[in-house]
This record gives sequence, structure tokens and C-alpha cells, in this order.
Amino acid sequence: MTLSRSQKRGLVGASLLAFVLIMVGIIASYFGSKYQLRIVYGSYVSLMVVLALQVFMGNARITNLSHSAFMGIGAYAAAICVTPVAMKKISLPSAPWGLNAFALDPVTSAVIAIVITAVIALLIGLILARLSGIGATIVSLAVLVIVHSLFLYRTDIFKGNQAFFGIPQVFTLTSAVIIAVIMVYVVRGFKESRWGIALRASADDEISAAAMGVNVHRLRLLAWVLSCVLLAVAGIAYSYYLGTISARPFYFNHVFLTLAMLILGGMRTVTGAVLGTFLISFGLEWVRWLETGPHILGLKFPEVLGLSGVVLGSVIVLIMALRPGGIMGDREIEDFILKE
Amino acid sequence: MEFVAQQIMNALSFGAEYALLALGLAIVFSIMGLVNFAHGEIIAVGGYTMVAMAALSLNNPLIVVGAAIFAASIGAVTLERVAFRPVRYADPTTGLLTAFGVSIVLQNLFLLLVSPRPIAVTSLYFLEWPIPFAGLRISSLQLFETLTTIIVIVVMMLFLKRTVLGLSMRAAALDFEMVRLTGIKANRVFAAAFLISGVLAGIACVFIMARRGSVDPHLGFDPVLMAFVACVVGGFGSLPGAVIGGFLLGAIEVAMLVLLPQSLGGMTEAFVFGSIALLLIWRPDGILTPPREKGDKQ
Amino acid sequence: MLVVQNLNVFHGPIEAVHGISFTVKEGTCVSLLGPNGAGKTSTISAITGVAKSTGSIMFADEDISALPVETRIRKGIAVSPEGRRVFANLSVKENLRLGGAYNAANVDSLIAEWFETFPILGERRDQLAGTLSGGEQQMLAIARALMSEPRILLLDEPSLGLAPKIVTQIFTMIERLKEKQMTILLVEQNATLALRLSDHAYLLNNGQIVADGTAETFGSNDALMAELTGLA
Repeated sequence: MTLSRSQKRGLVGASLLAFVLIMVGIIASYFGSKYQLRIVYGSYVSLMVVLALQVFMGNARITNLSHSAFMGIGAYAAAICVTPVAMKKISLPSAPWGLNAFALDPVTSAVIAIVITAVIALLIGLILARLSGIGATIVSLAVLVIVHSLFLYRTDIFKGNQAFFGIPQVFTLTSAVIIAVIMVYVVRGFKESRWGIALRASADDEISAAAMGVNVHRLRLLAWVLSCVLLAVAGIAYSYYLGTISARPFYFNHVFLTLAMLILGGMRTVTGAVLGTFLISFGLEWVRWLETGPHILGLKFPEVLGLSGVVLGSVIVLIMALRPGGIMGDREIEDFILKE
Repeated sequence: MEFVAQQIMNALSFGAEYALLALGLAIVFSIMGLVNFAHGEIIAVGGYTMVAMAALSLNNPLIVVGAAIFAASIGAVTLERVAFRPVRYADPTTGLLTAFGVSIVLQNLFLLLVSPRPIAVTSLYFLEWPIPFAGLRISSLQLFETLTTIIVIVVMMLFLKRTVLGLSMRAAALDFEMVRLTGIKANRVFAAAFLISGVLAGIACVFIMARRGSVDPHLGFDPVLMAFVACVVGGFGSLPGAVIGGFLLGAIEVAMLVLLPQSLGGMTEAFVFGSIALLLIWRPDGILTPPREKGDKQ
Repeated sequence: MLVVQNLNVFHGPIEAVHGISFTVKEGTCVSLLGPNGAGKTSTISAITGVAKSTGSIMFADEDISALPVETRIRKGIAVSPEGRRVFANLSVKENLRLGGAYNAANVDSLIAEWFETFPILGERRDQLAGTLSGGEQQMLAIARALMSEPRILLLDEPSLGLAPKIVTQIFTMIERLKEKQMTILLVEQNATLALRLSDHAYLLNNGQIVADGTAETFGSNDALMAELTGLA
């Protein structure tokens, strides 16, 4: 298969990013404390979510606000399938449809979770793909709220805001790094594929693209489902590591956090997704440390609860006002190394 | 019979509040294409102002109400000037994300500068007392709320039909550039839109406070969410749609409360949103807009 | 009254007009002619301030090139834009009221005057502007522009999309304005009609002025006229 020039560049770029991800993973594994390891894992899960977001938002140029919901669907679906029966009988005593009477191995559970998420994504996507910019965003927000309230409502299946525990913790940082690396290739690959290119062209000018025979709605649907599948994987990675999930992380705060990561780095590029994720993941940890009123150089800093929120919000507002394209704008990582 | 009448009253007052909130969102969106998520924080500004009034021992209800509405209006106009002007002519998504960011910043500023804990606001408790009426027990608050909303809607209609500023706002919703080309200052139109949304937020705040009795940093979240849903239902950006969406949402909520068996009592929110979902599937653009040929925008 | 020098107009990164210069003397009617895409509307947009431009724009001896849109309009510039752009969701009367928004004192009497001059508008005074026919909308757009009692009127493609009989009516209206000493900058693809009214004309092509002269100069140049009317 011969690759076009941009596809070759994409391969280089993805490999560069993969290298960075592997390096960070290795450094963390060798030098990080248990606590720091958890944070790094969390940032890799966030990266998966942000990459999934990028594949849709960066190509279709539509803001999606429902991504945390799909991550939740994937997480819960896998969790329900994989948790041992003994655990489920305790945590979900009144589960319907015999959900607490079976347990599958992690791989099968993951596959089922992905399929379920993909089907739901397809159904919702059929409506969403036909809507224009802000309309699609608004509906996606409605989806977020609806899915969240479903999580809260059927506590017999989901346990609502209480912890759904007992998920076998089969993932380590290595697993997360591997998945993230694969995702980088997938997402970058889509961007440089003919679908990605066609989608971006039609995002800028829908009517001309349609006139040229591009089926905009189908392309959008494709990107949407791909995005949701990746989100499901992120959700699975989340539950397979933590062993416990609840409905709370799959709602507004998470939406906002991951959106900030993508926007800061620049939603048009995969490099932007990676950059923004790490900047905010680690930056936020630092701000949170500041929040607790630490001792620095003999001075006691005051407790400033809420600082992280102010910083995060300000980042979004400033980026939108001053540099809406994010730090990377339209440039990928290989642009720094390869000549034009 | 009395039960039905009682529920109708409930639906009206719920609906009135949602309509009020939805109008605040809709007026800004219709003119600027901005989904103002920070609207909830404007309500909280009103709430914290009431706290400030109490702290200053100014308990005269007129002062408390007036101060809240005033603060909310000023807050809204300031937000426009400071946070939204740079993204004024950007696409709706940029505006939406900015509003999100502003909302988070404000919520955390409340947390930081005032208190993470709820603060009691008791000066408005007097507004609520039961009124026996034809065998029903209506809360006075419900009555006030419904009446106020009706008055607000009428006043707004008059404003939009009779005043030049109102006309320019209606025109701006369709062709903002042309409004500028007739010499009307863009700044004035935007500031007016935000001022109105601030006033609406302040009025809604009064009723929310009277019922809740306390204010906390995340006060604005639920109201803005309901306002948002109401707008979506009625067709985002349409002012009559916001009102209809609000009342419809109120009706659905009361219907769910009534119809759901006791065992599912806590699930009203889920069912309400479920009904909304069905509505959206039937009419993705909201009720008032007829199903449009996909592919053509405004 | 209007002196434009070295005007470059930009649509994003693309330069649509390259360094043109022209003058509109007070009380005269000047036409900008040329085919589609020549840059005529871009020029109007630059004068009103909607489009980014470089170069000098002097209106009544004042440099307006740095002023925002609304401020320029308030100096006495009125525009009936391409496509008419009446406020479709407002009534005819409301459209006129907006046109005279900052001319508060005279608004009602001016509206009454317009309804007299154009009975059709008067008949449809409470009708939504979006339901008017093309010709009626054009009348409304011009009337709306004139509500502010401007010093110069920018008319962009008034004949566009209208039936010939209606076009005649519109141009009769414009002629009457001319008789009242209104300064007019007219952008038109219909060269014949435009030249009949104009004192001076400029021909644009590909963003540059390729010919200019009085209406007679144009009229007597058979080759030019053939080209122009072939394009019209």
C-alpha cells in the first residue's frame, strides 16, 4: 500500500508521539512512587479520552460534550461483565436480567462493552450526524445529561453515585501505555486517511463538499462511532485499573477537564491532544498541591481551595480569546523535524 | 378535582421558573449565538448579594430583592464586557466553551473568596405562606412566581415590539451585521441583551432563594441545566420557544411526580430527561421549529 | 465627498481589490460597473467597514478608514446592500423605524412621507418584510437607508434578481433621488441603466479599475459598451 506524503508524515509524527509516551511511561514506572504512578495512569486514561475527542472534534469540527457519558457506558458495561459473581451479588443484589449471575473474562467483557457502546453511539449518531454545528453540540449535551441520569436512576444496575466495586484490576501502567500508543496511530491514521481529509474539507464548507459527492453525514457518523469506540476503551482502561467506579466521574467536571486539555493543546492536531493532556494533567496536580497550603522555603502558603478550578477555567477563557487554535494550532510534531 | 387543580398550580409555578430561566439563556443566544453557561453563576451572584445585604443588616425585603436583581444585572453586563467581548464574533462553539470556562472560574471564585459551604438566606422566607383558595392550598410563592413570570413576559414583548432597542435586538437575531449597517451600535445591543438576561436571572434568583433558603458556589448548576433543556425543547434561541419549553418542562416534571409509583419516586429526573430524549428524536431542532431539510442553515 | 485612494480589500487572507482609487463628488451619481467577482461589492464593504481594507477612505474630508462600522454610518453614510437584507422578521414599518434609529426626531414624519411616496409600502406597513416581493423589498431597503437622511447613499446591485418592469420602477426612484441632489454610489451589473443615471463611471475587473470616464465616454465607446452589455 503506497502512502501519500501526508500519510508518511503522519506515520513519523505518530511514531514520535509514541516514543514520547513510552518514555514517560518508563520513567514513571522506574522512578515514580505508587501515588505518582496512579496520577500518570490517570493522565494516560485522560489521553485516551482526549484522543477520542480529537478524532471527532478535530475532523468534523463539531464540539462534542457527551464524551464522558460514552466513557461511562464502556466502563460500566465492562465492569458489569467482568466482575466476579460473588462481588456482584453483594454490590448489585437486585440487578435485573440476571446481570449479577455471570462473569466473563476481561477480554470478552471488553469486547462486549465496546460493541454495546458502538451500537448506542450509532443510534445516537444517526440523529447527531444530521445536525449542524451548535445544534449537534446542544444535543450532545442533552445526551450527557440523559445518560448520567440513567446511571443515577438504575442503581440496581449501576449503583448510581455509590461505588461499583470489585472489578478485577487487570491493567497496569504498561497496558495503558500500549493502548495509548495504539490509539495515537489510529487517530493520526484517521486524520490522514481519505475519510479524515474529506471530513475536514466538508466541515469547512458543507455545501460544496456535498456537491462534490462527499456524503458528509456518513463521514460524520463514521468519525462519531470511532470516537465513541475509543471512549469505550478509555472507560475500560479506567475501570480495569481502579477496580471501582461510580457515576460521578462521567459528568460535567470530566467533560470540562478533557475539553480543556484538547483545547489547550489545539484540537486540530493529535500532537495538540497529547500536549494539552500532559500539560493539564501534571499542571493541575501541581496546582492542587498548591491548594493544600504547602510549605515552600519555610513559608506556609494559605489553603486556597478552588484554585484549580479557577486556573482551569481561566485557561479555557484565555485560550479561546487569545489563541483559539491552541498551542499547536495546525502543526503536528513532525513539522518541527521534517522539512515542509 | 382539587388534586388536579393543585397539580396544575404546581406545574404552572415550576414551569414559570423554568420559563424565566430559559428566557435568560434564549435572549443571549438568539442575538449572539452564545450559550451562556455562566447564567447560573449570575443567579448565584444574586444569592451572594442577599447574603451581603443580611451581613449589612439590611433586611428590608425590597432592598434585598432590588439589590439581588441589580447585582445580577451588573454582573451579567460586566461578564459581557470582560469575558465575552473578545469572542463576540467567533463561532458559537468558541463562545460556548468560553462560557463554560467563565462558569467554572466563577464557581471556584465563590468557593475561594466566600465559602465552600452553603450560607443561609432567611430574609425572603416571608414570601411563602399557604393561601387557602377554593378548597386548595396554594403556596403564595407559587402564585407570585407565576404572576411575575407572566408580567415579565408581557413586559418583554412590549419592549421587543415598541422600543427601538427591542427592534434592533429582534433584527440582530436574524442579521446582526445589517443592524450595524443601519448605524446602531453593536455594543449597545449586546449589553442590552446581557442586561435583560441579568434582570431575568435576578428575578429567578429571588424565587429560588425564597424556596431554598441558602446559597452555595454550585447553586447555578441545576437551574442553568433546566434552562438549557427547556430551550432545547422549545427550539434553541427562540424566545417563545423558551417560554413554551419552560412550561412544558414544568408540566412533564409534575406529571412524572404524579404518575410514577412511589417506589420509583427518586427517578423523576431520569424520566424527565428520558421524555426530553424522545422529544428530541422526534424533533431534533426543538418543538417550534418544523423539521428542517438537513443541510440548510439559517 | 467620498475620496478613496489605493484601496486594497481583504477577505481573510485573499486580496479581492488591488489598490483602486476613485472619487464621488457631492450631488453626483457614480457607478461601479463590472462583471461578477470584479470586486464591486468588496469595495462597498470596505467603505462601510465590514471588510478589512488598507488604503485611504476620506468622507467629507475626514479619514474614516480606522472607524468601526456604526461610527462610519453615523457620519452620514447609508447603504442598501447586495441582496437587500431587509429584516425579514420585522414589519415594514419596524424596518423603517430601525433605519431612522438615531434620527429620532423625524422618524414618524419621515415614515409617513415614505408611505405617501410609495403607497405599496404603506399598504403593507404591518406585513413582515420577509413576505414582500423582491421589488417591494428593494424599495424598502432603499427607503430604510434614506430614513437616516444620509449624505451619501451606497446602492449595491439594486436590479439583482428583479423583473425588468420592477427594475424600471426602482431606477425611476433612484432618478428622483438624483434630482434631489442626493450623492449616490451605485454598484450595478446592468451597465445600460446605470450609465443612464450616472455622471461618472468606473469599470472594475479582477479587483482593478480598467476604465473610467463620464457616461458619454462610456456610451460612445462601442467596443466597451458591447462588452459591458454582453456582460449585463
